[in-house]
Amino acid sequence: MLLIGSFLALTGRCFYLQYFKGEYYLDMSMKQQRAYINQQPQRGVILDRRGRVLAASNQVQTIFAEPRVIKDPKTISTELASVVDMGAHEICRLILESGNPGYARIKKVTDANQCSAARNIRGIGVQSEWQRHYPMGHLVSNIVGFTSLDNHGLEGIELKYDKQLSGSAARNIFFADVNRRPIRLKQQSGDLADGVGIILTIDATIQQFAREELIKQCENYEAESGVAIVAEPKTGAILAMVSLPDFDPETRLSSSTVMSREPEDGLDEALPKSDIKIFDPNTFRSRVITDWYEPGSIIKPIVVAIALDAGVVNKTEQIFCENGNYRGKGFGRISEYRMGFGNLTVREILVKSSNIGMAKIGQRLGKERLYNGLKLFGFGRKVGIDLPGEVEGLLRPPNQWTGYSVTRIPFGQEICVTAIQLVRAFCILANGGRLVRPFIVRAIVDNNGEITTLKRLPPPVGYIISPEVAEWVVTEAMAGVVNEGTGNRAQLDNWQVFGKTGTANIARSDTRGYSDSEYVASFVAGAPAEDPAVIVLVSIRKPNRKLGKGYTGGVVASPVAANIIKKTLTYLGVE
Amino acid sequence: MSQFRFVVVAFYFTAVLIFAVYLRSANNRIFYELCAYNTEQTRLKQELGTKQLLLEGLINPAAISQRHDESKTDD
Repeated sequence: MLLIGSFLALTGRCFYLQYFKGEYYLDMSMKQQRAYINQQPQRGVILDRRGRVLAASNQVQTIFAEPRVIKDPKTISTELASVVDMGAHEICRLILESGNPGYARIKKVTDANQCSAARNIRGIGVQSEWQRHYPMGHLVSNIVGFTSLDNHGLEGIELKYDKQLSGSAARNIFFADVNRRPIRLKQQSGDLADGVGIILTIDATIQQFAREELIKQCENYEAESGVAIVAEPKTGAILAMVSLPDFDPETRLSSSTVMSREPEDGLDEALPKSDIKIFDPNTFRSRVITDWYEPGSIIKPIVVAIALDAGVVNKTEQIFCENGNYRGKGFGRISEYRMGFGNLTVREILVKSSNIGMAKIGQRLGKERLYNGLKLFGFGRKVGIDLPGEVEGLLRPPNQWTGYSVTRIPFGQEICVTAIQLVRAFCILANGGRLVRPFIVRAIVDNNGEITTLKRLPPPVGYIISPEVAEWVVTEAMAGVVNEGTGNRAQLDNWQVFGKTGTANIARSDTRGYSDSEYVASFVAGAPAEDPAVIVLVSIRKPNRKLGKGYTGGVVASPVAANIIKKTLTYLGVE
Repeated sequence: MSQFRFVVVAFYFTAVLIFAVYLRSANNRIFYELCAYNTEQTRLKQELGTKQLLLEGLINPAAISQRHDESKTDD
């Protein structure tokens, strides 16, 4: 009887365990046997055109504590303190004050010995994380941008190509032994793929030339901001693109050097401005594509090219410039910047930068031809460069023009452009009138070094203006601006430079009209005139006129462009 | 003699059984070693990457220009 009773009890127990508790023990055994490992992909690198690293990711080890399994935080902290070179009190505080019972970050380390030693302490673990590095710091910050703490792009190329750079994650499920060591792969969900690399057209050396010169001049004139672009006119490749003020992508702080500020309690006397770091999200954008402004005289060569191509003016005729005072019904009064002029040829209008001469050229062109010509040169629409945040600028359609418009637009008022639009327009001129599309991403490369996408667009077909007109404007008129006119500070010994200055009043924000004391000083140039290798645009916003050093494009911007051209052409070996 | 033979047979039978168990777990053992080597390889690659980034930080145009300016100032 006893035997039968025992047998029945055992059977009942087996049935209970199998039927009622089966799921529970199955679940427990699954947890015991299985280990899950989430594999995060390495974010792709960003390189300059010569393969120098602009952004890359590397793994760092983070030592963390699991507060819920630590019974005696003080002992653990003392043990860990000697491993990670931290105070025991600090470690204890981090463990006790952690809001998460399963995770308290202690320290990031790079030493493998520290990691192994930390793993041996109960309740302490080591986690691998990807960290983004920007070896060039401020130099290309406005182009490359930066990522968030969880490695998502927030600005610049990091944002624009976030999907390609991120790669794809995978999750592996392993069978694990009693020591939690993986002994067999059970399942893999997702394919682990590291992010692809991106090669830019930017040359870090030319970028350094441009940034150095621009910073010096902006500091010298206490300017609010500045931009500089260097481009290859034949291909549209952007070799350098500087936007100041900029920032350090690792800390997001910017130096206040180029920003005019009021002194604070003697702070400016105590420290040089470049040592003062501030957090200003305004510095994150690339002003080359996000800021529009009225360009002023710098747009005159474009309008002259349109007029010559349309046949409304010719190279030899004289245009009477009203001795500096031109008024008429429907367009108000136009005057010159300094002195009045009598009869000028088209070339002389550009060399002397006559507003009245340009107004008359605009009147001859008329609304439609002027508008269509500017549209063909790319104004009023995005360039389409591979960076986020580009704006279109402002070119109103002819039906919205007033009587003033056809006389003002030719000398750069009533039209808003971005710096990149200006560069495109002058690349077209320097490229014999052929359309050029500026671009900044050269190629996308996979982890084996194979180019997966060549980003260079096919060369466009067709002319915006005739090659003869383009060549004349560049080699005669714009070269004349540098040799005899307002751009004479840009002359170089070894190359014939061509260019155009611009000094644009900034429109007032509180009322109608323009400010008398705030300007954008610009200069666009290229060299050599006979076969342009580079186009450089420099625009400096609000140089401080009170310093008495000048404020015009010819004084403020042209020396910067000249120095950039000189260094760039020497570096490129152009004769 | 038969007792000795019995001991020898039992000994070898036991050895074979133990060896069979050892062989059964060979797959898992090799897999673990492979994972460990892969991890070590990744760690070494990352170490190399860190060194490369340090080097890039030293030889990029901005850093060289800064050092050049500093040495000019010192002179």
